[in-house]
Amino acid sequence: MSGVISTTDVCRYFGDDEETMVKAVDRVSIEIVRGEFATIVGPSGSGKTTLLHLLGGLDNPTSGSVELSGTNIAAMSGAVLSDFRRDHIGFIFQSYNLIPVFSAEENIEYIMLLQGVEASERKRRVTDMLQQVGLEGLGDRRPNKLSGGQQQRVAVARAMVSHPEIILADEPTANLDSKTGIALLDLMKELNENHNMTFVFSTHDEKIMNRASRLIHLHDGEVDLDERK
Amino acid sequence: MLLLKLAYRNIFRQRRRSLLTALSLAGGYILCVFSFSLSEGSYSNAISFFILDHTGHIQIHLDDYRLRPKIHKTIDDPQGLSELLDANEEIESHTLRVFAPAIAYSEKDNSPAQVIGVALERERSTSTLAAKITAGEYIDNALDAEGYYSAMIGAGIANSLNIGLGDELILISQGADGSIANDIFIVKAIVGNRASPDRTTVFLPLTAAQEFLSMYGSVHEVSILLKDDGEARVQAAVLQDQLPELTVDPWQIVESTFYQSMQADKQGNNFFMGFIVFIVFVGVLNTVLMSVLERTREFGVLKAIGSRPLKIALMITLETGLLASLSLVAGILVSLPLIAWFTFLGIELAEPMDVGGIMMSHLTGELSLFVFGMPLLFIIGFALLISIPAGLRAARISPTEAMRSN
Ligand SMILES: Nc1ncnc2c1ncn2[C@@H]1O[C@H](COP(=O)(O)OP(=O)(O)O)[C@@H](O)[C@H]1O
Ligand SMILES: [Mg+2]
Repeated sequence: MSGVISTTDVCRYFGDDEETMVKAVDRVSIEIVRGEFATIVGPSGSGKTTLLHLLGGLDNPTSGSVELSGTNIAAMSGAVLSDFRRDHIGFIFQSYNLIPVFSAEENIEYIMLLQGVEASERKRRVTDMLQQVGLEGLGDRRPNKLSGGQQQRVAVARAMVSHPEIILADEPTANLDSKTGIALLDLMKELNENHNMTFVFSTHDEKIMNRASRLIHLHDGEVDLDERK
Repeated sequence: MLLLKLAYRNIFRQRRRSLLTALSLAGGYILCVFSFSLSEGSYSNAISFFILDHTGHIQIHLDDYRLRPKIHKTIDDPQGLSELLDANEEIESHTLRVFAPAIAYSEKDNSPAQVIGVALERERSTSTLAAKITAGEYIDNALDAEGYYSAMIGAGIANSLNIGLGDELILISQGADGSIANDIFIVKAIVGNRASPDRTTVFLPLTAAQEFLSMYGSVHEVSILLKDDGEARVQAAVLQDQLPELTVDPWQIVESTFYQSMQADKQGNNFFMGFIVFIVFVGVLNTVLMSVLERTREFGVLKAIGSRPLKIALMITLETGLLASLSLVAGILVSLPLIAWFTFLGIELAEPMDVGGIMMSHLTGELSLFVFGMPLLFIIGFALLISIPAGLRAARISPTEAMRSN
């Protein structure tokens, strides 16, 4: 098994003042392996979001390194980093964050447009993804005409469609009722198994934790416990 | 295509705000076009008025005759010059003139007069002299049975000397050789009315005037009409090179008082335009910045999933450009019939208006690419310029912070 993402003593501190400084992520060294379905768990404020942002190259570490397939993303910036995120990482956010003026299809298509994928191929993949996330026939709806669960499925499709190496999902079920949340998680698990797609997601929901094959426990920014089931 | 769709939908997202912005853009445009049309129109009317009345596009004299006319400052080979000008492709027509002050007498009265000798056929195709005749007919070069030449006289002279068609007119002046010039002419036409600028002018056939003034085939002025209105300065320079011993001036110099007041007036106009455009753009800037601030989170997401910062900035520029374009299309649709009406029908003025010294009783606009294109470029250019700071702001949005701001 090969590592997709690994961090070495990665730290993210907020504030310059010793006294008031927040160590949101503190000396975290983890390795995520291809095909894993890993969960970062911890109470609110424990650093889950910050760690995911570091893993995805959205934020720069105060110290330490983040390597994705052997490339140190902490050293990248600007258009290079944008392109790297576009081609290697998929994101799913707690509050869906779809583009409101785009239909479901267009939201999924957009990232392929950035990648320069041909129109016919884009269309094929959009149709395919909609079917995989169970939204056939809803492709032309705008986000405000979709339920929360449906919107998050579109977000999953958007993250998957560019064929990233890893999908990072920050509390993807937090805004959903538990039934819908579990259904979404089952969908992610299915995609994980069918496509060997690597997932890292955060949660503080007990019911959801149970479905993960690996639990990385965060507490005050530090890894408490890293258990594989 | 998807980006254009995105821009288009984002514009329609805030319907009311976009509509207000579009209205102010279109309104500013229409105002600019109207004002350009009015100023271009009334000035080009004034210009064509004096160019056709007597000035022409280009004038040729000896030395400083134009500023300090002296009877002996003459062009001595008008025939050679005429051949040169006739062969010039750029020139529509030209005419030859001599000038002299004189005193005009009838049997009982006298009056000061300006004698102008004109090459009759050339003058007819170069100036509007023939059209200004209010009584009688355009004269010819022939002597009558008693050996007198014909004359066309301004209505003012006809009135003060109390003479009319067929009557005798006596002119007394000084010849180029210093002799006293006097001769009798027969009035064959009245030019203009008692308020015309030509009211005290006596027009004679060129040869008659040359004979009368002992000028032996020389002339004072050559006035040239070009085929292309806009070429006066260029062609004047070309002719000046060919005629180093003479002085060649485009109408902008001949009518420099008019030209300068026109330039100053246009500058004032541009300042006014600038002010309007400024007001419009404060509104546009506000709209663009607001729409960026409102969508901080969206831009953060677009960046997070891999849009390059420059692409985000371009999206804002595209949006602004699209809004401006749509507004301008509306502006053109509204102003085109308006300006067309204004150009072809015009507005009758209750009181004549002074346009750089020329009284105009009719106000008409101009329908040209300049009138529509200039404000168009200006507004599009400014709108795009304004979108740059907003775009850079959007491009700099940090995805992490955008995502946390709820
Ligand atoms: N931009 C920031 N500035 C200051 N403190 C921050 C910032 N982002 C996060 N933090 C702090 O870092 C800690 C971890 O936050 P976060 O990663 O959002 O935790 P979680 O996602 O587990 O709730 C919290 O104490 C939070 O207040
Ligand atoms: Mg969080």
